[in-house]
Amino acid sequence: MFASRRRRWLVALVVVVVVGAVASAVVASSFDDGSSLTAAIDEAPLTRVADIAADDGGPALGVYAQLTDTGHLCVWEAPFATSRQRGGGCNTVDDPLNGRPVSFTLSYDGGPATVDVRNATLFGLALDEVASVRVLMSDGSWQAVKLRKAKVGADEFKAFGVRLKTAVLKKGIEPTAVVAFDASGVELGRQATGIG
Amino acid sequence: MRRIAIAVVALACLLISSTALAAYQYAPPRQWTPGASAGSTFSSNWFANSFMTYGSGYDKTVTFIRNTNYGWVNTKRGTADYLETYAPFDGTYKAHCVAHTYFWGSCNVR
Repeated sequence: MFASRRRRWLVALVVVVVVGAVASAVVASSFDDGSSLTAAIDEAPLTRVADIAADDGGPALGVYAQLTDTGHLCVWEAPFATSRQRGGGCNTVDDPLNGRPVSFTLSYDGGPATVDVRNATLFGLALDEVASVRVLMSDGSWQAVKLRKAKVGADEFKAFGVRLKTAVLKKGIEPTAVVAFDASGVELGRQATGIG
Repeated sequence: MRRIAIAVVALACLLISSTALAAYQYAPPRQWTPGASAGSTFSSNWFANSFMTYGSGYDKTVTFIRNTNYGWVNTKRGTADYLETYAPFDGTYKAHCVAHTYFWGSCNVR
């Protein structure tokens, strides 16, 4: 009788553990953790669309566009196309610039205090109708950005990558927005940014 | 009976651990507010840190924080739906993500 009771407890324990494990696996898989996108990112080829020259102690870098089979357009900054040292972001192909004329990533080492920042760059894409892009700094000054035509899939964009001067950042002056203009100098839109 | 029980428990453990290893979600899906942040544990084995939002155009930051001077390394700030940075090759770091606006999203490290 004692053995039978022990067996029942053992069976109950096993059932609880198995049900718990299956439930946790089902719940975990129901959350979109981006694993399908990260797998697609690892597979899809990258196309170099802009260059960031070595300067100010920072290395030469490329700006790369990537179309994934999950329907995303990713823009990365990396030393070369197959480098593991790659950072950036992805949007869906039906809204590649988040509904704005310009979309970018600010990249840097050091911080979060602005005076500690080094190797700072800005890179991204603008709509083809954008004539110029400038970076607005916190002291009211502007930094020019060189645009380069880039075809990504069937769409035309203008790509850019620019390095921010460490000496300027050391004074506590940081980028506050990236602004897109048309050929007449009229502002088409801006995206705010900052250190930290 | 005991052997079967051990085998079943081992299988369950395998199922749980494989689910956990796919990606470590150090900040599960939730509502974020400006200035809100989250961080993973420190490790020398992290590969990449990502911040995923539901909807587009939300300003956010991903970075790695060194365990010695707590400096930020390979920081990326942007509004992409999926923002990712890579871990440095040397040292011990924790993944860290910061929201700069209101949105729904999650942070993962792998």
